[in-house]
Amino acid sequence: MEYKEPHTNGALAAICTNLSKACDKQMRPTEAGLFDKLASYFSQSAGVAGPVSINDLDANIAADTESGYIAVESRAQQVGDRGALRCVTWGKKVTAIHKSVLVRYAKQGDALMEGSNLYVCEACGFIAIAKEVPGLCPICKAPASRFTKI
Amino acid sequence: MHAARNIALCTKDCLCLFVCPTGATDTENGQIDFSRCLDGCRLCVDACPSHALYLVFDRYPVKPQKDAVVASALDNLLESKVKQELIGTALAQGENGGAKLAKAIAHSNRVLAEDCAREARYMLPQGSETRKLLTELLGRRGDPGFPVDAVEQLLELLQ
Repeated sequence: MEYKEPHTNGALAAICTNLSKACDKQMRPTEAGLFDKLASYFSQSAGVAGPVSINDLDANIAADTESGYIAVESRAQQVGDRGALRCVTWGKKVTAIHKSVLVRYAKQGDALMEGSNLYVCEACGFIAIAKEVPGLCPICKAPASRFTKI
Repeated sequence: MHAARNIALCTKDCLCLFVCPTGATDTENGQIDFSRCLDGCRLCVDACPSHALYLVFDRYPVKPQKDAVVASALDNLLESKVKQELIGTALAQGENGGAKLAKAIAHSNRVLAEDCAREARYMLPQGSETRKLLTELLGRRGDPGFPVDAVEQLLELLQ
């Protein structure tokens, strides 16, 4: 059978890590490991982005903010898909955080992170630049245990 | 349906050991022995004073099909997040001072991408859309290094 799904290798990697986490939550370590194996293959196949600069993120962030999220949101409202609306609500906020962090980094450089750590919320992707791990995610209300220190 | 223990909540009061008819709750690794746990018994779940025990389902309901327009808009967003993850990962490997920030941005974009994937239609490993994707991935058999055995095992295990 020919492969028809409209996903790049990079997207397939994210689909597989998402399914691996779902298997972990269902206490299915064997299945989680198999999805991880697939995710590693797709990550390798996705390769490395060519010569890039931090400014390359700006265009993608602008596209997500100005059209990507709006496309999901308007249709999800029409059909009453509240799960997709939840994804949009969190994602828009996290994307705005990316933008603000990049703007601040452009102004302050490495001083932005001086004396602080970087934490990412595993539930919604929120990035915190702080001395201590946040007690609660300001976006999705996940507890401190859901944060990963970078 | 069998019980599982959230170690972060467990207060070691051991009421689950008292009520379990098979000894499945008393193990050296802190998790329930699923092979001994009785389907749907839930005595330990009700006995635990700390709500550290819960039931994991073996079967999940069939989800309503996602609207095709929502799914395809989420697919596009998924691709954009993955692109940003790859940019972040490339920058994180550089020598510049923002490498750590780039790593955080890459990680965050992976979480965002996973959320898009979940809402687009790949929420349940047992779901029909996941099965369809895995079945289509069989078509990659023969691609150098493609772990087709993993796909075959998943199709077998996730009935």
